[in-house]
Amino acid sequence: MNAQEMIETYVNEVATELPRGQRDDVAFELRALLNEELQARAEGAGREPDAAMAKELLVAFGRPTEVAARYRPTLTIIDPADGHAFLRATLIGLGVIWGAGLLSHFSSAPFESIEQFLGALGQFWVRTLVASMWWPGVLVVGFATASWIRRSSPRAADWTPRDGVRTTGDRVGLAFAIIGMAFGAFVLWDPRWVLDAIFGGLFGIKAAPIAYTALTYTEGFLSGAGPWLYAAVLLNVPFYGAVLINGRWTPMLHRAALAHGAVTCMLMAWAVLDGPILKTEAADSMAKALLVLVGAMSLMFLVLEVRREVRPKPDLGAATGG
Amino acid sequence: MGDTDAFSKVESELRRGAVVLATLSQLRTPRYGYELRQALADRGMPIEEGTLYPLLRRLESQGLLKSEWRIEDGPPRRYYALNADGKKLLKKLAESWQDMNGTMTRLLKED
Repeated sequence: MNAQEMIETYVNEVATELPRGQRDDVAFELRALLNEELQARAEGAGREPDAAMAKELLVAFGRPTEVAARYRPTLTIIDPADGHAFLRATLIGLGVIWGAGLLSHFSSAPFESIEQFLGALGQFWVRTLVASMWWPGVLVVGFATASWIRRSSPRAADWTPRDGVRTTGDRVGLAFAIIGMAFGAFVLWDPRWVLDAIFGGLFGIKAAPIAYTALTYTEGFLSGAGPWLYAAVLLNVPFYGAVLINGRWTPMLHRAALAHGAVTCMLMAWAVLDGPILKTEAADSMAKALLVLVGAMSLMFLVLEVRREVRPKPDLGAATGG
Repeated sequence: MGDTDAFSKVESELRRGAVVLATLSQLRTPRYGYELRQALADRGMPIEEGTLYPLLRRLESQGLLKSEWRIEDGPPRRYYALNADGKKLLKKLAESWQDMNGTMTRLLKED
């Protein structure tokens, strides 16, 4: 390939990365400029332009995709300010999904044969690792939308002061949430009540006996993690009641909420690992899946809350003066 | 990070804004890409060709430059020059640069 062919190839690679309307004109100008640059170099070196000289010029000019990008306004999908948050959310989310996948596909370990292990590995690969790519995709769309909104309405992204540790927002909303928590606790005391309320109340008939069995707690659960977990769930009602009366999260309430959340997560893990919760296998699997989901989300929320805590103090050990 | 790395990184950040101002300053009269690069280099502001040529198109798409193809002595060349908005911007940027330059000179003298 001679110098001229090299320039033609390079210009073509740059131009194909540009919008169609701009392509030909930029290509014509770029080729003329590169030829002029090459001629000047050749005159400076006191010899005819050759392929090596052209290659040196084009390498210094930059990779065609980078050069094409310089011809256009910068396109930012995710704001640089969001880069760390995006990476953190991606890694934490993938960690949770992969962890849940490991538990789900390798819960029957130790395996009886290598084929069984490879089968589980294959399932983990396809159903968890490959399938988990939806999470970064969702994050890209979310962060890109936030970035676009901030650029479209810069005032909407202005910083606004927060009251105290964290405002609770609408008190009416919080009151409804407490009522919801109390109702949820009531249902959890004996889930069979739901069947009576629906079938007995509306149609005057009883649900099938198997439905009652499905929603009956096992003895093991009732004598193990059950009462503790129920107490932790019930504790939400006075807790949020205190926030409602107080009007905001105080530092003490905030710390107590974190501790309560951590204990609840541990109790949920105990309940999942400590044998069946409900008497039928299908209902038990469903209940455990829900507990794992709620537990994972609570844990993620807790980790984020702890990470967001700031206690201003000088880091004397990190000072670099002297 | 070594001293050289730190210097080249900070210096390239310092130059980034100056490149635009330097380019605008040399386009009060129409010039084509290679001629502009030579003019800047002759005045002590060499700019890599891979940076300058795309920059001209970007400044034009931002509505600061006007351009036209001319055929004089040699192949057709695209000439760029400041338009009315570009001239106004250059005036403002030059004032801002002078202020900053004065401030920096004072700051650096204090040390």
